[in-house]
Amino acid sequence: MDDSNLLSDFTFFLKEKKQEGIKIIAYLAHDNIPEELIDAAGFFPLRLIFGGSDELMDASHDYLPPSTCAFAQSCIGLFSIKPNYYKFLELVDYIIVSNHCVSDICVSEIISKYFNIPRLNFYVSYTKNENSLKYFKLELQDFRNQLEATLGKKISDEDIHNSILKFNNFKKKLLEINELETTGSEKLKLIHKSMLFGPDFLHDLENLIQKFKDTPQPVSTTSKDVLLTGCSIFINDNLIDLIEEGGGNIVFFDTWIGNHYYSQIIEDNHIDIEKDPLDLLVLKFKNNIYSDHSVPDFLKQKVSFIQKYSENYKKNKGRKLGVINHIIKFCDHISLMSSFLKDSLQEKGIQVLNLERDYSRANRGQLSTRIEAYLEMMK
Amino acid sequence: MKTFIGIDIGSLATKIVLLSDGKMLDHRTERSTYDFKRIGHNLFDDLLEKNNLNKDDVFLMSTGYGRNTIDIADDRVTEITAHAKGTQYFFPDVHSVIDIGGQDSKAIVISKKTGNVVDFQMNDKCAAGTGRFLEVMAHALEVPIDQFGALALRSNKSASISSTCTVFAESEVISLFARGASKEEIASGIHRSIARRVAGMSKRIGVGPKLVFCGGVALNPAVKKYLEDELGYEVEIPEFPQLTGAIGAALIAEANNSH
Ligand code: SF4
Repeated sequence: MDDSNLLSDFTFFLKEKKQEGIKIIAYLAHDNIPEELIDAAGFFPLRLIFGGSDELMDASHDYLPPSTCAFAQSCIGLFSIKPNYYKFLELVDYIIVSNHCVSDICVSEIISKYFNIPRLNFYVSYTKNENSLKYFKLELQDFRNQLEATLGKKISDEDIHNSILKFNNFKKKLLEINELETTGSEKLKLIHKSMLFGPDFLHDLENLIQKFKDTPQPVSTTSKDVLLTGCSIFINDNLIDLIEEGGGNIVFFDTWIGNHYYSQIIEDNHIDIEKDPLDLLVLKFKNNIYSDHSVPDFLKQKVSFIQKYSENYKKNKGRKLGVINHIIKFCDHISLMSSFLKDSLQEKGIQVLNLERDYSRANRGQLSTRIEAYLEMMK
Repeated sequence: MKTFIGIDIGSLATKIVLLSDGKMLDHRTERSTYDFKRIGHNLFDDLLEKNNLNKDDVFLMSTGYGRNTIDIADDRVTEITAHAKGTQYFFPDVHSVIDIGGQDSKAIVISKKTGNVVDFQMNDKCAAGTGRFLEVMAHALEVPIDQFGALALRSNKSASISSTCTVFAESEVISLFARGASKEEIASGIHRSIARRVAGMSKRIGVGPKLVFCGGVALNPAVKKYLEDELGYEVEIPEFPQLTGAIGAALIAEANNSH
């Protein structure tokens, strides 16, 4: 997918933010960074959700071994060579060092140290028992303190509540994307833009979703419906094109860039402005059952989620659903469990393609063959 | 009766077959070079001419790495599906397929009930476990590629080649020489390493007996022997192991157009 327009619009948008005196806080793609706190502090949360290329991966090898996940390599490459469409990275004021995975920690540490970007820290626990939830709240408090020190003033509870509501509304709208009648690439464009621009995009998002509802774009009946799981498809990655050119259509993004992000909503009945807003963020963390990491038993939950989704899909649409498990090379927690995921789903009669790849051009032909062969298998 | 042509454009060789009523009538093979399209067109024209056929008399199905490069094809199919069908031409009760070609290797499991692919695995983009690996190693040992397998089988000892990367394996071969290992032992080690790698990949998807070994590398007797050692059962080689993709493509074309 050529996302150059999206990136140039975003550069313009971010420059405006900067001119308004808003600081930009960047962090790697994944879960659990409390963007509501960043927003409540009046900063802009910039999620690094950009795909890679040979050049970006190569540029990272002065800092990282080539056995680091291709996404992490590309993130370093982006900061190292800042290609044209990514000049906005020069506007980043802080980078959050977090521990979603080992690559996440290393990359954010390297960005901070070698590209001279001051760091903020936010570390999550990998369990969800009483103690780890207490710990999570302490981390939230500590993160709030770091933001306040940067800001030079307190962040009010009211501002945090408002930000929580703002992100909640935004995610509720995003959830509607799952049901739209259009191609996977159109859905992904909406998701990318939303996750990049954040709730500022809500108004446009509402209009675009309404447009799709008013004029549905039925997908060709010959295409094969697919649920995407595993690693996300990031901005400027052509994987979705390969899937569509091969005759597939992603109907559901069971990935962080997708349902994992926007399904994390705090139910309205929990929101009480009299209460400590950090408890709401703890609740969101506790209720996160979809994500690939920091969720005990995530694989079991994933298998049962995909099984249920696929059964309902068949019942409601009368169509078979394939599953592509996208594995970015050397993304350990997705790749190590991929055989387990495939075997578990195949036992339930769901065919799975474990699609491992990096961002190099050289394997484009082979990727297409795997995708097309899998779709042929679904006939 | 309509005639069907399957063309398998691989990275090293292009294969074309003419098929009618489920029977292969003619075939050709040529090196793919860098110009897939020209080679494909030449083979196609030649096949039509020698068989007194016009383009309109035939349905052309392309497969293989270069399947999208040939603009005269009426349809295309991946080499995974094509090999699964093509091996059934020779062995109707095939359960699994291992195909080792010039640039990649694949393992395929076929449903007994439907004859369709139920699972497959391909090697990743590096040359280890492919015909290219054998070519590079044969070159390093200064042995013609068509004698490489026979040379390996002359040794009852295999030098241990631990590198899976072609570049590292080449330096390993040179250091084995320096330590006095014989050409035969090294050749045997090289063949064992490719067999081990491909068998490992194949076992992960549950390949089993009634396994057909095809692709250009199936002509190499040492890879066949060592694959059998690794898998623990006999593997079958079709009469034309290089043609299974093209035959499969033609059979699929025939099946798709017969109703
Ligand atoms: S290893 Fe996986 S989860 Fe971690 S940064 Fe890479 S793609 Fe993301």
